[in-house]
Amino acid sequence: MSGNGRIETGSQRSRRGRVGVVTRGSLVEGLEMKLDPERNVEDMKAGKFVVIEGDKNDFFSMVTDMRLDATNAEILLHPPARSDELLRQVLAGTGTYNIVSLRPMLMMSKDPASRDFDDGPRPVKAIPSHFSLVQEAEEEDVARIFGREGDSEGKYFSIGSPLDMDTEVCIDMMRFAERSNGIFGKTGTGKSFLTRLVLCGLIHYDRAVNLIFDVHNEYGWRAMKETSGKSSSFVKGLKQLFGDRVAIFSLDPKSTRARGIQPDHEVYISYDQIAVEDIAPLQDELKLNPTAIESAYLVYAIYKDSWLRTLLSLEGPDVEEFAGEIGAHAGSLVALHRKLKRLESFPFMVKKLEGADGDHRGDCVDRIMEYLDAGINVVLEFGQQTSMLCYLLVANVLARRIHEMYVKKSERFYATQRPEDQPRQLMITIEEAHKFLNPSAAKQTIFGTIAREMRKYYVSLLIVDQRPSGIDDEVLSQIGTRITALLNDEKDIAAVLTGVSGTEGLRSVLASLDSKQQALVLGHAVPMPVVIKTREYGEEFYRAMGADVEDAGQRREQAEKERELLFGPE
Amino acid sequence: MTEGEVTGTRSLESFLEGDARPVSSPHAAAADGSGPGAGRTGEVVESSTTTLVAEARQLHAAPDFGAFVRIESDGRDIVGVVHNTRTQSIEPNRRPTAYGKTEAQLRREQPQIFELLRTQFEVFVLGYFDGARMVHLFPPQPARIHSFVFHCTPAHVLAVTADPQFLRSILEAAGLPTDELLLATLRQALEGRTRSEPGSRAYLAQMGSELSRLLRDDYDRLSSLVRRMTGWEQELK
Repeated sequence: MSGNGRIETGSQRSRRGRVGVVTRGSLVEGLEMKLDPERNVEDMKAGKFVVIEGDKNDFFSMVTDMRLDATNAEILLHPPARSDELLRQVLAGTGTYNIVSLRPMLMMSKDPASRDFDDGPRPVKAIPSHFSLVQEAEEEDVARIFGREGDSEGKYFSIGSPLDMDTEVCIDMMRFAERSNGIFGKTGTGKSFLTRLVLCGLIHYDRAVNLIFDVHNEYGWRAMKETSGKSSSFVKGLKQLFGDRVAIFSLDPKSTRARGIQPDHEVYISYDQIAVEDIAPLQDELKLNPTAIESAYLVYAIYKDSWLRTLLSLEGPDVEEFAGEIGAHAGSLVALHRKLKRLESFPFMVKKLEGADGDHRGDCVDRIMEYLDAGINVVLEFGQQTSMLCYLLVANVLARRIHEMYVKKSERFYATQRPEDQPRQLMITIEEAHKFLNPSAAKQTIFGTIAREMRKYYVSLLIVDQRPSGIDDEVLSQIGTRITALLNDEKDIAAVLTGVSGTEGLRSVLASLDSKQQALVLGHAVPMPVVIKTREYGEEFYRAMGADVEDAGQRREQAEKERELLFGPE
Repeated sequence: MTEGEVTGTRSLESFLEGDARPVSSPHAAAADGSGPGAGRTGEVVESSTTTLVAEARQLHAAPDFGAFVRIESDGRDIVGVVHNTRTQSIEPNRRPTAYGKTEAQLRREQPQIFELLRTQFEVFVLGYFDGARMVHLFPPQPARIHSFVFHCTPAHVLAVTADPQFLRSILEAAGLPTDELLLATLRQALEGRTRSEPGSRAYLAQMGSELSRLLRDDYDRLSSLVRRMTGWEQELK
């Protein structure tokens, strides 16, 4: 009998980690378990991971809620005194008991023969029978579901460990790169760390090439680690970990240099590169009237790409005249002109890409594409240009053109069907994503399009945001994998769970996460939602990512070598 | 009844030794020494499936209230618990009268009156032994009249009280001083365990949990029972 081995392991486990028995429940609403009296209810934390042993299947489940209950209302009216220890002990498990709500997430056949057919865990379509044993999940169970880092295909990347367990939870990087993803959480809950962790995974396993709009300058070079004490420490950025595989582009080279790095490329944007579509999403920031966009289109109809340069080259009084020439409403065009004047104050805006001294600055979008094509990840630093207007404008201009190029490349691939024409999967990381993806902007910005069309053209988004409720539902429902740190606001919680089935239990889990180093991961890249304690981002992680953690001596040696290369031996 | 009739086999001094003397009975000869009834504590005089009445071998020497006893009958060991003991006149129409003297004085002056008394105890049947295994079922046949009643050995007590079923049997029996009997039997069970194993606290909790299940509709009763049990394991150490 094939079952013999199973029964043995089952009984072994029951000696080790039995927590209770299933007493009631339904497929839709989840299951209820009566906690064994010898178990302390305080150990059953929301998000904990347990295994229900059914007759034919193991059900991997998550603790979502717990309740104190009593058989008799009398007990609650006359609770045992503090000194009545025996009475409390006697009542525990009989008169008073604890009910733990479980949400079955996956089921896996116990019969090894049938497991070969339907490989691995499947979604839950059945529930275990009455009084099925509930056990604590063990490392082996977790590995069975989430895989282990260092598999032959190199697709599993560990991002942390389950609550109260010392094993790794992995996300499937292949699946993760396939779709748009979201990282959410209140401010200060570790979004940036999670993002950095995920980006490291993507780069390390080379699953997607990344374009990161780094508005707070925290991904490229070192970033500050927020600690509760006074002493803040710094952690390594992507450039430090991956060297040549990451290029830093900067909008504000001065600021980048001030932080001790030479940007690989300085970014300039010419007025000719800005299309009317790039201005449209700025309506809120620039306080444009609806008619302003129409006026802009009128200018565009005549001057094409140079519309903005032409418009901004006019001086105040000439605008009305100009409006008359092109047949636009004078007041509207004057307002548009006045508001767009703000763009002139950005140091990275240039009239033409050729500099005054004749050296060709190059189209930065082309450069970014070159890097991305070569598989080099691009971090775009904003330096001190952190105004929302600047961020929105630059991100839109770049993303729109990059998306256009990707569309072309993908179409060529579809036409030729040659594997070498297949574009690299691109993931664009945007912070403060609700600015691009709020219900009104999502229809206009390129990011809305990317989030919706996503996979077809090999471009997906990594949305980082603290206010997911501000993001368009349509976009949210298309997000593949969500990594969510603590959220309190009901609206935000609801937004994060948009498009996920069976979310009742997850709500309580989400609201009860620790404010540091804990996150709920759910969606496409993980077989089931799981609460994790995030992986430590430190020396050990650097080593795992293949970065050499060199000491001072090594560094001096290296410098010596480089000096010799430059100036020859002494 | 005169003194001469009674003293056929005994010296006068033997009456002065308090109540530690055999009650005269037809089996007296067999009871002493090493016959089949050696070590017995009583003999069945009234029997039914659920309860039986036994006469103690000696006056005032019935087993304690709540003690577990074993009745050898039909080659089967029936197990019960003592729930009522009474001492009364042998003849139903003669009742002892008050003399206003201490028992020692009476034994010296009127020893014959003690010959006219007997001690009987009632046993509630819990089940029977099948070899060393306790079966919590009524025996198929009640104990036979004149079967001997013995004290249960500590090993027997452990076997009977291992399964909390005995609590339920007592709790559901009609006409018994249930709560008192529960506490008395539990205390005995605990005594046996305190001596033999360290887990007496766990045992108490286990039995308490069973009581809590049985008395789920009567929290007052449960809490009073459990409160009376509090501190036992310290006392018994």
